[in-house]
Amino acid sequence: MALPQPSVSSVLVARPVKKPRQYRSGSLRWMLLGPGLIVIALTVIYPLAASFITSFRDWRLIDSPTPGPFVGAANYTRALTDAGFLNSLGVSAIYMVISVCLTLLLGLGIALLLQKPTPLNVFARTLLIFPFAVAPVLKGFSWRFMLNNEYGVYAKLIGAIIPPLNDYVWLGHQLSALFVIAFSEIWGWAPLFALMFIGAIGSIPAEATEAAKVDGATSIQIFFKITLPLLAPVIYIVALLKIISAFKMFDQIAIMTGGGPGDSTQTLYYYVYQVAFRNLDMGYASALSYILVAIMAVISTFYVRTLLKGD
Amino acid sequence: MHSSLSSGKRRVPLASRLAQLAETLGVLLIIAFVLFPLIWMLLGAFKNQIDIYSVKLFFKPTLDNFRAIFSNPILLGNNIWISALVSFLTVAITIPLGAAAAYVLSRHRFKGRNTLFLLILVTQFVPAVVVAIPFFNLFRALNLIDTPWALVIVYLSFTLPYAIWLLRGFFDALPVEVEEASYIDGCNEFQTLRFVTVPLVLPGILVAAVFTFISAWNEFFFALILTRSHALTLPVGILTISGPRGPMWEQLSAAGMVVMVPILVMSFFIRKYFVEGITVGAVK
Repeated sequence: MALPQPSVSSVLVARPVKKPRQYRSGSLRWMLLGPGLIVIALTVIYPLAASFITSFRDWRLIDSPTPGPFVGAANYTRALTDAGFLNSLGVSAIYMVISVCLTLLLGLGIALLLQKPTPLNVFARTLLIFPFAVAPVLKGFSWRFMLNNEYGVYAKLIGAIIPPLNDYVWLGHQLSALFVIAFSEIWGWAPLFALMFIGAIGSIPAEATEAAKVDGATSIQIFFKITLPLLAPVIYIVALLKIISAFKMFDQIAIMTGGGPGDSTQTLYYYVYQVAFRNLDMGYASALSYILVAIMAVISTFYVRTLLKGD
Repeated sequence: MHSSLSSGKRRVPLASRLAQLAETLGVLLIIAFVLFPLIWMLLGAFKNQIDIYSVKLFFKPTLDNFRAIFSNPILLGNNIWISALVSFLTVAITIPLGAAAAYVLSRHRFKGRNTLFLLILVTQFVPAVVVAIPFFNLFRALNLIDTPWALVIVYLSFTLPYAIWLLRGFFDALPVEVEEASYIDGCNEFQTLRFVTVPLVLPGILVAAVFTFISAWNEFFFALILTRSHALTLPVGILTISGPRGPMWEQLSAAGMVVMVPILVMSFFIRKYFVEGITVGAVK
């Protein structure tokens, strides 16, 4: 064990005798890590465990403030025949497809238009982060306001371009309502994804596209044969992020439709909320929330696997 | 070769000029898409209760909406105070705990480190509703419903794992050599962390603090479930801005400005880190 050199300037020492990790103290490690881990255990692990246990009990808050008897898997089997649950699965699936496809298309479109670093484009790129930072509640209110069939500015604009759509009640029909909800979310996500795509396009060697141009390739060919394949890994990870966010989206539904008309925009997430905090059926809601956890677990496996490969 | 459009300095074929024009129009359309909802809300905040239902761009601006939201019965000032309190407390707990954990996970090598990493990442996929159900019942039993503390506790469930992941990246980016120099000069690990590592990672810590603040400030779902009247944060507080005909859009727009402007200003300062911050934390 050599003592640290009383060096003139430690910066000039090419290699210290000890590896830095030998200076790292084991007791300090747990003092630093401990508090964080305890908080995570209390705020994430505890509720996960508590929900899991509750999911096997009968517990309606209207009947009793304390949990009722264990009922085995009854809450889970109940879901299989619950029309509300099955409907919400369908709505979530439709919503996911709409919002993921639109975000990717719009994000790619924005990225392609802004990829050249002209002054206008650079200015436009700075703006791209702002919508994401806006509170989801405000996104919901703002898009609901702009698409109101009587006085909404976007509704009037659409009506002026496509007259048959004048006075169309955008939030009054399932598919258009899901599109509007999706747009309030896409408004935040697509510009951000565009920034990621611009970064990825920038890392594509210019020689590749130049060579293709010399060989007489059109811009469309270059996009499909060079840009898109090279963007594929980014698109994949971004699509996973969007799928996750689509399943967790709540705020805009609460603000824009409340799950309606009927239950046509009631996603799984919103349905679990309804069962837990409107119907106050904690046992059943816990079981439903675990079905949601299972879906998220499958998606996150793909995400984590990709991240680990990237490391 | 003699194009009819060759009066300019360079001879550019018509088709490529048209393409250029289309591209510029496209960029302007993007700028409109991004900014218009913000501008429309800004205009709405200064419209009176008749102008708000028209789509005109020019009108006589009024400050009445701001007066209305800060007086009875809305009293948005209370909501601002609760939101600020909850957000600051969340940051004040998240950042020290998160930075300490992130430092260890970045610098120390020990058994189970990678598993721990992964577990912390995975917690970010846990849907908030799963966390909300047990906490709602626990807080009911403890009489904590409708208090700021309840919100701070549940907010930690997503801010802390997120901050650890974001901060670990900033610690990883700092070369170990800087710390080696300090060790050689005789500092122990805590001194090195305190006087060398943390000051150098400070910009990253600030970025994490801003992201944490934004996510607490904008949070709606937990606040909707865990508050009733005394601890209404801004996102749930503005729900009360409605009249017999539904939301009072002009006042709601003014309140929207109050919610939005601080966050947009903060975002502007950390704009360089935005993509990084979201890809780590978008899974919230």
